[in-house]
Amino acid sequence: MAPKIEYYCPCLAESPYPPPPHLASSSYSFHALHNLFFCEECDAVRCNRCVLVEVSGYYCPNCLFEVPSASVRAEKNRCARNCFLCPNCRNTLTVVPSDPPEDVDSRMSPIVSTTLGEPPFFLYCNHCRWDSAEVDITFEKPTGLAAQLQKFEDSAPESLEFERLKEHFEPFLRASSSSTALPSASSHHVHTNPITAAASSALARDIPGVGKYNPLSRSRIGRDKAAHRQEYPDYKSRVEVGHAAALSGEVDVELLRHLETVGEVASLEQRWSNSWVTPLRASDLKPLRIPLQSKKSKRCPSCRHILIKPEQKAQSTRFKIKLVAANYLPAIAVTLPHAQAALEMMKRSSAKSVSAAAAAEEQQTAGALIAGHSYSFHLAFTNPLYDPIQIRLAKAVVPAHMTEDAEAAERARRSTFQIQLPSAAFPVGAFAEAWEYDDEDEDMFLDEDGVELLDARGKKGKDGRGKSRSVGIVDKRANVTIVSGEVLIPKEARGDVKFNMLVSYTYRSDDPEPSEEVEVGTPSRSHGTNKAPEMKNFSFYTVVDLGSIMYREEPKLTADL
Amino acid sequence: MPPIRDKFTIHSKAVVCQDVELKGDITIGAGKPPMPLPSGPIVIGSGCIIEEGAIIVNRRKEVMRIGDDNLFEIGCRVESPTVGNCNTVCTRARVHHTLRMSSYCVIGAGVLVVPTEDEMLDDYTTIYGPSAERRIWSGRGKVQEMDLRRKHAEYLREMLPKFNRLRRGDGT
Ligand SMILES: [Zn+2]
Ligand SMILES: [Zn+2]
Ligand SMILES: [Zn+2]
Ligand SMILES: [Zn+2]
Repeated sequence: MAPKIEYYCPCLAESPYPPPPHLASSSYSFHALHNLFFCEECDAVRCNRCVLVEVSGYYCPNCLFEVPSASVRAEKNRCARNCFLCPNCRNTLTVVPSDPPEDVDSRMSPIVSTTLGEPPFFLYCNHCRWDSAEVDITFEKPTGLAAQLQKFEDSAPESLEFERLKEHFEPFLRASSSSTALPSASSHHVHTNPITAAASSALARDIPGVGKYNPLSRSRIGRDKAAHRQEYPDYKSRVEVGHAAALSGEVDVELLRHLETVGEVASLEQRWSNSWVTPLRASDLKPLRIPLQSKKSKRCPSCRHILIKPEQKAQSTRFKIKLVAANYLPAIAVTLPHAQAALEMMKRSSAKSVSAAAAAEEQQTAGALIAGHSYSFHLAFTNPLYDPIQIRLAKAVVPAHMTEDAEAAERARRSTFQIQLPSAAFPVGAFAEAWEYDDEDEDMFLDEDGVELLDARGKKGKDGRGKSRSVGIVDKRANVTIVSGEVLIPKEARGDVKFNMLVSYTYRSDDPEPSEEVEVGTPSRSHGTNKAPEMKNFSFYTVVDLGSIMYREEPKLTADL
Repeated sequence: MPPIRDKFTIHSKAVVCQDVELKGDITIGAGKPPMPLPSGPIVIGSGCIIEEGAIIVNRRKEVMRIGDDNLFEIGCRVESPTVGNCNTVCTRARVHHTLRMSSYCVIGAGVLVVPTEDEMLDDYTTIYGPSAERRIWSGRGKVQEMDLRRKHAEYLREMLPKFNRLRRGDGT
């Protein structure tokens, strides 16, 4: 497995320190850079676990019609135009008129061109050739089909039962929403619009068997529920369960008894996208109106500023607001030079006869981290900002209470491997469009004020380290700087080489705070004004995973060769 | 295998582009034609549309008979010893020589059909999807489809000669 790096979002933690990476649960706190957002207001990284999600619009993925939120409920979250899914293969269906009456030998007759559209119309799948006439669904007119189908859906016993349930619980819901019963809901009040309300209640729905994460008030909700419980009458269902023929299962048993092929039973895939109880027999499946999809925007959980907001139009894939972490934090790529060299060697010498599996295995052994050796690793930093930055690396501080609790364990863990990181700060050039870079790397660092100093400092750090060490700057060009670190693995070490790394960088900040509506022109990315630059510092944690430690397997290797 | 003797019989109404590769004994009816590499002879009926990159191969000594109004889409490969009428072989579908097609069959895009024993597809068989599932089409809509196919062929017969050099048969 290639070495990788992930960025820390502190939203799940009680302490500001990231969890030790050897804990399996720590993976929930680390994310790939492209999944993270950045709140300028709070000056903090936000992840998909902590952002507030709201629906900014619903649309049909097939006809791209934007459905007003009021209709979404009435149309039961499915497209009300002529968009249908094939119940057999889930392709989209087309509306087709009936064939003209067939001549005795129509195949040989000249071009008929009488396809004027004769009723009855039916839905037809171009892929698997399923058609709705097979399940006795035909239409007199080629329009308004969804409404006709929805009539079927709405008259299904499950649907009627659901309507009845909703009616039954409505007084209770009204009562509980008017009181301050749900604290999480009340805290949303300020920003709620009808779409959001509908969506957030849908998102907050309990999933059976899955605990609900609500750090604020898990117990309080329970208490509120209990308080309201006595106030509403018992529910009486439309149909007694015992009397409903469809539910008794005898029909199904009969069907299964006479099965000839498995294909007669509708597969899970075929039944999955249906809202109500689906027929067991594949040949009974009905066409489905296409489920709607939504565009979502995300807010910072603490200041509620919008972090990402798509354009309203269903056709558009662009964003009105997009504050992604990749525009603020340097991107880091980890590589193991020895593994890459081994890979190169293998590519050059690899004979065609070697099977893919064997080659893959060989690759893995060649790039492995073997106990009792030390390896250098490269970290490539790419600066997304229009100004140069200074980066300083450090191993993560182990939280105090951790050492207290498990000092022995900690010490044992520390003995597994040792990490050396460059201790001095190093510069990373400013981002520019590719054609703006000169051939001479150094030139660009001199043309903006305040930058010369940074570069000089960076150089000093490099020189001061001495050539014998393999820790320091390896390469520096354009807006990328590669530094190398070292890992020392003792003989008895086991497990993964995984460590937390603190990355701090200094950047020039432009003072005037921008309005959040500005597109990507964030303060840190826009070119500076004439004011004296103010230097700011930002730090974030990462977890670096170099791969697992292997035992020395030299005998096996030589045998193979 | 004896050396392949080239002999092309192309109907006067057939449209065969110059860059089509023909090998062996091939008879093409009225319509638009192929690019095969055969051993036994291939006889293609009228009204067939054989698109770019389609490969039609006769793996046997007997005559490979392809009926009328068939559509072979871009990049498909057909080795069926017999093909009936009004079949559709979609883009990049591959049909092995153990499979024979009757009429109104559809081999879906990218489907690979390799029966281990000789098999004859029933009329209206549709094979589709990644696992080559099968079902029998009701046939509803076939008149319109064939109508469309004939218009398609008609259009190509008109347009292709404007942009391609044509090939003539050495027989009739
Ligand atoms: Zn988070
Ligand atoms: Zn639609
Ligand atoms: Zn279908
Ligand atoms: Zn914020």
